[in-house]
Formats: sequence, C-alpha cells, structure tokens
Amino acid sequence: MAEFTTTVHQNEFLPDGGTDVHAIVSVTCTGAGTVAPMSSASGEAGEIIIVDVSGSMDVQGVQAAAYAASAALDQIVDGVWFAIVAGNHEAALCYPNGMSAAMARMSAQTRLEAKRSLQRLAPGGGTAMGRWLLAAGQLFGTVPSLTKRHAILLTDGANQHETPDELSWAIEQVRGRFEVDCRGLGAAWQVAEVRRIAEALMGTVDLIRTWEGLPEDFAQLMQQSMGRGVSDTQLRVWAPQGAEVLFVKQVSPTLEDLSARRVEVNPLTGGYDTGAWGDETRDYHVAVRLAPKAIGQEQLAARVQLAVGSDVRAQGLVKARWSADSLLTAQISPEVAHYTGQTELASAIQDGLRAKAIGDDATATSKLGRAVQLARETGDEAATSRLSRVVDIEDASTGRVRLRRNVDKLDEMELDTASTKTTRVRPS
Amino acid sequence: MTDTPTPDAPTPDGPTPDPSATSADRERDVRAADPDGPEEVQPLEPPDPVDEQPVAPDEVQPTETDGPEEVQPLEPPDPVEEEPEPFADGPPPLPTPMLVLDGELSEAAQPEPAPDVDHGTCRCGGAYDADGWCTRCGEKRPDPRDHFSARPTARVAAVCDRGIRHTANEDAMAVWAEEDGDGGVRAALVVCDGVSSAARSAEASLAAAYAALEVLTSSDAGPDERLVLATDAAARAVAEVGEEFPDAAPSCTYVAAVVEGGTASVGSVGDSRAYWLPETGEPRRLTRDDSVAEEQVEAGLDRPTAESGPLAHTITRWLGPDSPDHAPETVTVDVTAPGWLLLCSDGLWNYASEAQDLDAVLRAEQERVGQDPLALGQALVGWANGRGGVDNITVALVRTGAGPTPEVSGTAYPATGRADESVPAEPGQDGPHG
Repeated sequence: MAEFTTTVHQNEFLPDGGTDVHAIVSVTCTGAGTVAPMSSASGEAGEIIIVDVSGSMDVQGVQAAAYAASAALDQIVDGVWFAIVAGNHEAALCYPNGMSAAMARMSAQTRLEAKRSLQRLAPGGGTAMGRWLLAAGQLFGTVPSLTKRHAILLTDGANQHETPDELSWAIEQVRGRFEVDCRGLGAAWQVAEVRRIAEALMGTVDLIRTWEGLPEDFAQLMQQSMGRGVSDTQLRVWAPQGAEVLFVKQVSPTLEDLSARRVEVNPLTGGYDTGAWGDETRDYHVAVRLAPKAIGQEQLAARVQLAVGSDVRAQGLVKARWSADSLLTAQISPEVAHYTGQTELASAIQDGLRAKAIGDDATATSKLGRAVQLARETGDEAATSRLSRVVDIEDASTGRVRLRRNVDKLDEMELDTASTKTTRVRPS
Repeated sequence: MTDTPTPDAPTPDGPTPDPSATSADRERDVRAADPDGPEEVQPLEPPDPVDEQPVAPDEVQPTETDGPEEVQPLEPPDPVEEEPEPFADGPPPLPTPMLVLDGELSEAAQPEPAPDVDHGTCRCGGAYDADGWCTRCGEKRPDPRDHFSARPTARVAAVCDRGIRHTANEDAMAVWAEEDGDGGVRAALVVCDGVSSAARSAEASLAAAYAALEVLTSSDAGPDERLVLATDAAARAVAEVGEEFPDAAPSCTYVAAVVEGGTASVGSVGDSRAYWLPETGEPRRLTRDDSVAEEQVEAGLDRPTAESGPLAHTITRWLGPDSPDHAPETVTVDVTAPGWLLLCSDGLWNYASEAQDLDAVLRAEQERVGQDPLALGQALVGWANGRGGVDNITVALVRTGAGPTPEVSGTAYPATGRADESVPAEPGQDGPHG
C-alpha cells in the first residue's frame, strides 16, 4: 500500500503582533504501484485520449495524432477503461465504436479495435475545446466505479468556436471530474487558454514543437498516468477558528494555486483535490493569517494532511510561536524564500510575455528583466536558458535585459508554458 | 452536436462540419441538448472510408450508414453492458460515422465526511487531536509538567512554571506542611532546577525533589542532618534517572528548607536560593550560589555585572554524576517573626537578585493579591513572566509568625501534590490556627 510522509519547512517564530505564518509542506508518496484496473476495492482507472481533428491539423497532423494516440494506447494497462474522442467544433466518440456514450476495457482485442478506429480520424471543422471536455466528462460518467480519471488533450489551434465564457462554463462543469494533461502542437494555439484548462483540471500543459515529437510524448504521459496508482487524494488544510487561509499553492514540481479548488471538509478544514499520485514528492506552500497572541504563546497554525478517500494518510503541523527575540523571528525559511521567488518568477515571465504580445515593450522589458534576476537568484538555470532566447541578458544580477528582435514564436511559447515548472531548493 | 443540419432537414450523406462556422452561427450548444429526446447522430466525416480501410463496409451492418441515426438518449451511467464482446469470428465491424457526444454529465459524487476521534476537550470547547492540539482554536493541550502548584496548608504553597522562552519545564518542587497546633507551622520545601544542557533533566529534577522531601518528612534526625541525608537521596534519584544516559547525564540544583519551632534550616547546592523576608527588619538571602558569578562577586566584581555576564548561569556544584560534591551548605534562621521564607529557582531571582529588591517585589505583589501563599506564589511567577520569563520559574513560600493570618481560600491541595490547580483536591482545611 502506498505510504505518504510529510516534512514541514517553516520558521514558526513570529514577532510581537505578527500574524502571517508561511510554510512549505513536502508530501512524498512511496509504494504507489501502478493503476490497479481489476481491483474493485481501490476503484478503477479510466483514460480518455482527446485528439484535435480540426481542419488546421491537416491530414499529416491528424495522422501524427493517430500515431500518438496509438502509442498512448500501448501504454494503457489491460483492464483500464478507455475511450478516444475526436475533437473539432464538436466532440465525437472515435472509440468505442458503438452508438451510445461508453468506455471500453482495455484488452488485446479492444486495443486493436481502438487503433483501427483511429483510421476514421480525418481533418475538418473548427475548435471547441469546452465540448471536448464535456464529452470526456460524459464518458467518464458512464463508469461509476472509476476512481481515477485522466485524459490527454491535444490541440493545435485557438478555441475559435467557443467564446471564452463558453469554455469557462464547460471547465466549471467538469472541474473535479477528471484530470487533463494538455499538449499544444505547433505555434498556433494559445498558451493562456490551454493553461486555463490544465490548471483547473489538475494537469500539465506543454508545447510540442512539431508533430514528430507527439507519439513519444503521449506514450510518456500515459506511462506516467499508469504509474499513478493512488487516486481520490486530497490535500486538507485546517486552520484555527478565526484564522484565514491566505492561500494553498502547489509549488513543486509545477506551480498551481489550489486556493480556488477548496471544498469544505468541515468548517475549519478545506480539501484540495491533488489528482492521482505516483512515487513522487510534491511541495505545497501554505499561508495562514492568525489573530496575534502574546509573546511566549504557541499555537497550531495549520494542519496539512494528505487524505486518500476519507482516510488521512499523513499530516504535517504548521506552528506559530510569538517571540521577542528578533534573531528568531527575523529568519525566513530557505524553502519558503525559494518558492516565493519561483512563484514571482512565473508571474514575471507571464506578465512580461503578455506585455510583449500587446507591444508594451517597456513593461515587457522590466518584467522579463525581473524574471532573469529571479531565475538567477533561485538558481533556475533552465529558466535562464529559456529567457535568453527571448531577451538579451546584459546583467542578470540587476535584471538588465533588452528584448530580442526576431524571436522564434515557439521559443516564446516554450518560455510561457515552462514558466510554471519550478526547481527544488538546492541542498545547502 | 446536433445543430447542423437541423433534425427536420437531414442531409443524406452527412455534413462535413464547416470550419468557417462561428459561434454565433451555432445556436445550440451542449447545454441545450435535450437528454429526453432522441438524438440525431451526425457522422463527423463523410462516409468515405480511406483506402486502406481493413474491414469491408458490407461485412456486418450494425447501423445504417447513409443517413442520420436515431439513437436513444445518452443516459449515463449504464456502463457494464457496454463492455465490448471479445470477437470470436474475426475483427468486428467499423461503423463509419462516429457518435457525436452531447456532453451530458452525470451527478458528481459527494465527498464523505471524515470521522472524528475523541482526544479530550480544550478550554475553548474544541476537541484535541491525537497530537494534543485543539481542533478548534489550535492551542496545545497543557502539559501538567509545564505548570503545577501545591498548597498543603493556608501558610505554605509552591508554584512551578515553564516560563515563556523555554519549551520544557525542567524546574521541580515538592512541599509538605502541617499546622503545629501552637499557631505555627511545620514545613519541608524542596526546589530543584534541572540543567537544560543535559538530557532528561525535567525527570531528574522532579525525582530529586520528591526523594528529598521523602527524607525530610520521614527522618528523625535533626534539621541540619536531615538536609544532608535528603541531599544524598536527591543525588541518588538523579543518578538513577541518569543511568540510561551515560553520555549526557541529567543534573539539577537543589535548595531545601525545614521549618519547625520557629526556626528554618536551609541547605543548597547550585544556584537556587532561599530568602528570608520579614515584615520588619532586614531582608536576607540565606544561600550562597555555587556559581561562577558568585565567585566573581566574591572576587570583587559587582553583582549586576557578574549576574548578567556570559558565565552568569554557570554553576560550580550540582546534583549529578559529574558534580565535584553535593554536600549542602546549610544555614539556620529564626523565623518566629511575621514574614516570608521564600525558596526559588533563578527564573525568579534573575529579575530581583538582591534581597531588598525581591522583598520590594513581594511586598508589591502581596499588596495586590493578599497573603494567601498560593496567590502570592502565582503572582510572583506572573511577575517574572511579565519580565520576559526567560527561564523556568519556581517559587515556594512559607508564611511565618503568628501575626495576621492569611485568608482562607476554601480549598487546599495535597501536601506533596503534583496537582494542577485546575484539580482542587480536598475540601478546605479549617483555616489557620491562632
């Protein structure tokens, strides 16, 4: 059985009148195992592959998507429920072949059938990703025994056949029903739009530069999902009566603000769906605002728990202690400092690229300059390298940069999609 | 989707979705799909199989391929029968048109409530969790070791408190007393201060205090000899706790007093102190610290400088395995006059070392809370905490003389209790004699 452990990094000492407690809570899962498709006790796993078949994909792109889907099918463990959705301005059920919404159990036969049915894919139509998501939600709903629901969504273009509001509405309808890893092919899709889907549905977003890279990526994604044998997991954050949870963010391996995902477990405890777990470590930044107490008083500021179903598997305690000793209270936990910097780095990159896109070069230069500075300070060499393809770095320590002319659109998109990938604290 | 073509104008060969269609063109969306009505299923693709299609379209005919299909409403969930049959005689057919999904969602499952387990109740009314933190207000469940007191008679009490800065209370005390029938009191008091640099000093100091009190209240020897025997017993108790920890043996200081017949005999090892604070007359410190600071003062350094220096709390003798010796320095004082005999750890005297300074503090607190020894002990602990509470604080008090008697509080505590104040023991004794 999977085991979870937690480690809390914080400075629990608050100065007189201090109210805000910050902590990084690392949660590590070991022994996750792979998805257990035949076990009714732990529930079952479902996978849906959503491929873009809009006209812009062209015959070659659709063929590549079919190859990629086929590679993903090879990774799905026998017994797992699955389906393939073909998406354009509508969402059609490519597999199973029947005439009602359904999923199929993976077996040698259904894998072959599914691969064959991929030959039905052909380019045409527009793009309405909200409908794809609703379709996936509909399909997952046909198998009530599923406890792990995961989808891969491939798109190559902007969501032209839905308004942003329609997409938002669809996202809200399916929020919490399944996880989606999103992949954007080429340079014609909108990073912000797809990121919105991935963030709401607990998945990743990544850029695939050309269709040659697709099958390998899909196979890797599906393999990772199969390795996530622990599902129905929830991060729970308790704060004392009268306290305010300022935010709950996943800060590693990627940045995700979970605050909006809160569901009430009880009046003092919020639950935040974390999606499925494999053998991995994720770091969470929890910030709580307390009513200040007298010097010398101690109290629990937050209980951070990892629950599988209703079963709490691990707990970390975030504490607060008020002290008059400024040597104690002035210290900042290195982990809190690091991830605060990485969070600001992601915002600076996204803000900078947004400004650059609308021609606000002054803001773009300043934001991307700050990003270069933060990447250096937090030792994020990968971010520095990606930034250097969009700006000329004159002085990283002060963040002095110049915007590059003739930037490859794909480099810019890669900088954007990778902005939420964080580095861990370097061992000191 | 079912919007183009409309159900009453089906297109026989199925439309290719119009890539140029705008969202405004598309009046119906997934939300509008009527789950109760029949669905029109449109092929996504023209029924134009690609060349390498491996299955001949006429092999099996599960559906019509030349027009829109009528299907039953897409009512999730009905999963089991949708599991595909293994194909016994060759690959199954491929229905060319793909089902257009209407996106109809099933009811989301509700999370189950977490079960609650009872670990006791906090003063705020919330339940404690397994770790002893309140699940409502977040307060730590009080550790009885962190603060305890005793008030064996209306003239004698002691309070032991963790203070503010330390996370553990390594001080300890034990007291016994009874009225002597002549309007006076017989009492035995012990205060020990565990050395925080050694392991298990909290247990060691408490064991020492109880072992010493046992001897002080049971031996027939004279007061001075009793103090020596009690010190031996305390040292043995410390050594026993330390047997498990040969590398970091626990240690503690020791100050004890025996009060009987109007006389107090006091012995000490280390830097816990006894003071005699009469109502009239000169207040006196009765003990000499076994400390570097005391040696510095004796060598001519002024006391405030010595007692705030880097070695202020370095003691030269203690109870513990590596102490040079533990023979108590003893002193006897007449306590027939009204006043207070006070024993304390450095957690108190840190803030008022000189006898007259401590006397002034005591008088001010007595003015405020009266002469009940427990109330006064609590007040002195509170005063030290108000000054920062940098160390554990222990105060033991005996009200001496036949003078004004303390108020009766109505409750008393076991003679040598570890009782927390929240647990009144016996009903009040019959007040002071006199």
